Amino acid sequence: MTGVVFDTPAPYILLGLIVYAIAYLYYSKYVDRNIWQADPTRPTPAKLYFDGVEYFPVSRYVLYGYQFKSVAALGPIVGPMIAVHFYGWLPALLWLIIGNFFIGWVQDYSTMMMSVRREGRSMGPIVYELLGGRARTILLTYLVFYLIIIGAVFAWVIVSVINGVPGSFIPVVVILITGYIFGHLVFRMRVDVVRATLVALILVFAGIILVTAVKDLRVPSTNFLDPGVTGTQPASWTVLFWLLVLSVIYYLAAITPMIRWLLPTVYVGYLPAIIALVIVVIAAVATFITGVKIHETRAAYVGGASLEYFDPIKYPTTGPIWPMLFVTIACGAISGWHSLISTGLSSRQLEYETDARPVGGGAMITEGIVGLSSVAAIMVVARGAAQPGALDYPRGAATLVNALIPLGPDTWLYFYSVFVIIMGLITSMLFVRVFRMVAAELFPAPFNHYLVSPLIWIAIVVFLAWLGSWTNLWLYFGGTNQLLAGLALMVVAVFLASQRRPTWYVFWPGAFMIVTTLAAILWETYVYTAHLMQGQILSVQRPVAVKFGESLVHFTNALSAIFGVVLFILGLAMAYYLFTGYFRYRSQAEKAS
Amino acid sequence: MGERKGLGFLSRIKDAISEAVYGIALHGQVASIKRMKMYTEYLFMLMTIGDMMGIPIVPPYYTLRLLPYMVPNIKGWKLRMLRERDVTDIISG
Repeated sequence: MTGVVFDTPAPYILLGLIVYAIAYLYYSKYVDRNIWQADPTRPTPAKLYFDGVEYFPVSRYVLYGYQFKSVAALGPIVGPMIAVHFYGWLPALLWLIIGNFFIGWVQDYSTMMMSVRREGRSMGPIVYELLGGRARTILLTYLVFYLIIIGAVFAWVIVSVINGVPGSFIPVVVILITGYIFGHLVFRMRVDVVRATLVALILVFAGIILVTAVKDLRVPSTNFLDPGVTGTQPASWTVLFWLLVLSVIYYLAAITPMIRWLLPTVYVGYLPAIIALVIVVIAAVATFITGVKIHETRAAYVGGASLEYFDPIKYPTTGPIWPMLFVTIACGAISGWHSLISTGLSSRQLEYETDARPVGGGAMITEGIVGLSSVAAIMVVARGAAQPGALDYPRGAATLVNALIPLGPDTWLYFYSVFVIIMGLITSMLFVRVFRMVAAELFPAPFNHYLVSPLIWIAIVVFLAWLGSWTNLWLYFGGTNQLLAGLALMVVAVFLASQRRPTWYVFWPGAFMIVTTLAAILWETYVYTAHLMQGQILSVQRPVAVKFGESLVHFTNALSAIFGVVLFILGLAMAYYLFTGYFRYRSQAEKAS
Repeated sequence: MGERKGLGFLSRIKDAISEAVYGIALHGQVASIKRMKMYTEYLFMLMTIGDMMGIPIVPPYYTLRLLPYMVPNIKGWKLRMLRERDVTDIISG
């Protein structure tokens, strides 16, 4: 029995759940009571600045749901997919558990409390107030990089799944059309939301069932424009075709009124997504009953801090376990993006200060559980030889869930493929929208025009996704995201220092994240620079070199190296502002006392 | 949360779950729609009673006719209109 149980992902996932429970029930309560001294009688911005639009008290359960929906996307799925491949499942699992315990929820909760104590302001104005205009500009520049890089990685993952699971795009089209129909029913025809939701759910599941039942609908086939090519390869015409299809969707999402299409599509898309997430978490814990075992190739690779990863030419798509594991898994362990969410709508609508713990901390811990279930899903599928595949998660999730609810592996494979595509698609549709808004503020005319700025985002995203290496892009994404996290934690430390409160629980995680992330960005820059200096190309870029010549690859790598240098310098400058600001406030507090 | 005190444990769980589902599915949309409505109202209020915030407009006949309908919104309008806004505000929806 013991052998059987420890052969399954269940005990490891349960261990994570227990640690998360301790984090929520004890550590977060300690911080909430002793450091922030949350007081349910102190008026929150929702009550102080009540306007019925942005500031008004909302139940903690509603806000928890909203916060979770806003922070959980493809991040806790893609990160573990790459990390488990390169470093084994144990380091990935440990980072998810320990990272979330000491850093993840700490950031989400603390930034939310900071915003509550600062009139519900978002990160930009708080950074401006504490550290000055330059620090805010660096924050916004990071935001631009973040939006571009994550767009490129998600585009690659979406295209890989569409290409790898023929026909999976059909249910996606059904969801996109259903989104429009739902919006029309609710906002134009004034149909009751519950009835419209039922119609939407029937249509969404009909799309998935249709493509599962009718095999002739599974078109176009894998690599239909590139006969002879196996897997999804950069620079292939099929990938370009799907990227152009995505471009049209992104552009429409960016320029059409939100209420007509984007908002209803997000709603319709999240319905199956939430169902998918809940089922896979249950299926992961239930593996000690269903008996789904850790795949032998994964069991043979529990953890690996291979010294070979120090060779950037031999292993260009990864790197040493420190710092690279800590940027490979961002969401689920710690993600800077969440600090921007926590200081937005949620902090303005908290009814009581004490609600920040379940809303900010609770939502992040729930996202950690999603990350754990992703590790479980990857543990049960075979480890590929060279690169992690974007299909690892849908295949693993289908294996886990089919053992619990045996509707057939094909049904679940399509369900989880559609889930991955739609989660990536709707978050990218929101990203292009945010980019449009940021561009309107930061870019000069005509690049700030609402019809032009989405095209800039789409062009760079398509270029990077088509010709780049997705795991390297993911590491840059992790770099920008985790540096945002380090920044957010240090901003909280500066804030607490200015309030003469203890700072240790945010200062050390913040310092760790900044040092680790700067090292990761430096490593990634070194990888590209080493290739350029030696005239080498990354192994995954070979198809690009064959098709378009090595010069284009070198150009792309030079661009990536410049990306890295810019990110590193900006990160260093930000770290300087943060540390000097922190010690300035600390010394002021000491003098005053 | 005071209204929950009289409910049984299961009812409270049911309420909490339904509120969380609402939060996941609809709260963000409702917030966006409210914001859209707010910006549309800005235009209307500015055109009619913008002089209350120092924007010089000649008070027309219709402003006085509409004033009774606008009075409940004036306080919130001033609060929102004069609030500092930042790019990072838009991220959460």
